[in-house]
Amino acid sequence: MNCNEFQDCLGAYLEGTLDADERSAYQQHIATCSGCRLLAEASSSLHERLLKRGPSTSGISLVGSVMEKIRQREREERVQEPEEETFLSKLLKWRWSLGMGTAATVATLILFVILGSLNLQVSAAEIMTRGANAVAKLRNIHLRGQLRTDPADNFSAITSDKKFVSIELWKEFEPVLKWRIEKPGRVAVMDGKESMLFIKPDYAVKYSRPSDTAFDTQWLHEIANLNQLLNGEMAAVKKHGWMTAVTREHGKNGRMQSLVTIEAKAECGNDDYLKNKFFCTADTRRVYVFDEVTGLPSSARIYLCASTSDKLIFELDLIEGNTAIASDVFQLCLPENVDWAQEMRLLPDNEKYVALNSEQAARAFFDACAHEDWDEAGKFCTITGSLKAYLGGLQVISTSDHFTSALSLISGAEFVPYEIKLKNGNVKKHNLALKRDRQTRRWFVDGGI
Amino acid sequence: MTDPELIERCLHGYPDDFRFLVQRYEKPLLGYLTNRLGNRECAREAAQEALVRAYFGLPKLEKPESFHSWLLGIGSRVALELYRSKYRCIEDPRDVSTAPAMTAEASEEYCLDEAIATLPDSQRQVLMLRYYEEMSCQQIAERLRIPLGTVTKTLSRAYVGLRDELEKARRKQMEKQR
Repeated sequence: MNCNEFQDCLGAYLEGTLDADERSAYQQHIATCSGCRLLAEASSSLHERLLKRGPSTSGISLVGSVMEKIRQREREERVQEPEEETFLSKLLKWRWSLGMGTAATVATLILFVILGSLNLQVSAAEIMTRGANAVAKLRNIHLRGQLRTDPADNFSAITSDKKFVSIELWKEFEPVLKWRIEKPGRVAVMDGKESMLFIKPDYAVKYSRPSDTAFDTQWLHEIANLNQLLNGEMAAVKKHGWMTAVTREHGKNGRMQSLVTIEAKAECGNDDYLKNKFFCTADTRRVYVFDEVTGLPSSARIYLCASTSDKLIFELDLIEGNTAIASDVFQLCLPENVDWAQEMRLLPDNEKYVALNSEQAARAFFDACAHEDWDEAGKFCTITGSLKAYLGGLQVISTSDHFTSALSLISGAEFVPYEIKLKNGNVKKHNLALKRDRQTRRWFVDGGI
Repeated sequence: MTDPELIERCLHGYPDDFRFLVQRYEKPLLGYLTNRLGNRECAREAAQEALVRAYFGLPKLEKPESFHSWLLGIGSRVALELYRSKYRCIEDPRDVSTAPAMTAEASEEYCLDEAIATLPDSQRQVLMLRYYEEMSCQQIAERLRIPLGTVTKTLSRAYVGLRDELEKARRKQMEKQR
């Protein structure tokens, strides 16, 4: 063995992978070459020192916290930047500042359609079809955006007067469907076998089966299924006669972008309680942005179109397909003290509860919370530590007869108006959503706490 | 994917890929800063901040292949700032006007961290999988789809590189002291 061959064997010697002959040649070389002996000693010492590195930093992951900090700083920077105005947004803003109404909106959009057909020579349908084709073969997708909502509220709930919170989706279409959707107070994960929801800080739900869109994530999945979305939007435009417009602008990367705007109307009466509270009940203006070179969708914005003003409620600023998704994205780490959602079970006195109407059930639930009788309250919903702290010792000021929404036909929910005084002195006035469980026929609390 | 490839992606439409660089370097950075600050909690805070600054500094990084040593440089500056502003969180507060003094052992480990950052990409990758991820050579061979012999040979070259680099640093230190 010469010095070069010896140097190449250092690693194998220290790892114990040399065979007997090689080992013997290695030792003979050391005995005769002082330079290589020193190198062997230095390597052995380095090996020993390096072996301590792993245990001293094991179990630490900064990925989540670093990426969250980056996003937070990006958001802060974005808030400080003046809002980027497009030709369309300027015109629409101008429209509202002049106090014009629906007729003017329609006129503006017709103007755009005409302008589009004259100057741009590319129709909304052509851009959308090209975009749909460009994303026809996605193995996976990653979306990131911001939504105006409460951090821990239902994934599809919109609260237009709230600040933006981040929302992110990862979805693998093959070989097995997996997905994760996350916002600051709520995470839903489907790992190909089970579907789980975690509502921070201490409540979790598990279905022992895969699902396409569990936990009210349907709207975001519709966006993630980009090919179907873009084709579906144009089919809906045709079916419902929704207005569309096409504009162009320079993107941040300096390239030209095409913007397709669609004015979508929800099939939900204007006086419905749930109007504009969820994506499926909201009238929205959807703006899809496409890179003109690649045809790929690069971002999207959704505005809530209310009678008095339009407000940006959702902004998708990252759309990436066929990207590297770390495998732990589809795992859900839960805290030890988590309270799992309990299935509704038949009670010995089940009929007593079946006989209640929704208002009586709401009252019984609040009374149980008032007396901190958590066994009783637990007959209406899963009681977590944070819920006990929030509702324990409350005072019921009033409840009144329920009302329903157009969506009640599908969901079966009844809304019971209530007013309660919490232990901290705050008074809460809201509507408790109750549904009847199919198996036990008892009411359970589905939202509105 | 190599560091330059990941950086290229981060800068051109895939910013979320930065998470892979974080995964790759969080442990070496944390170890480095623990030696520097002598306190694991402070090191964690400094490592987070350094990684965030690195993300926003990517457009200015001239040599993407030197990401590791560039990151340690940022970490070192953050550690100094942290030490100056929050020295109370370190159990043994020293003169805040200077960089924290290190024990001889910590100083040696710190030099070793800097030496690792100077290794060629392929050697550093194998070294980090072996010692920070605690994988066996066989597992590394499988992960990187290379023969076992290539893994041990790469480690051999890394030891030689590290020894030379540490020797260079020691001489520099001695010249400084003179």
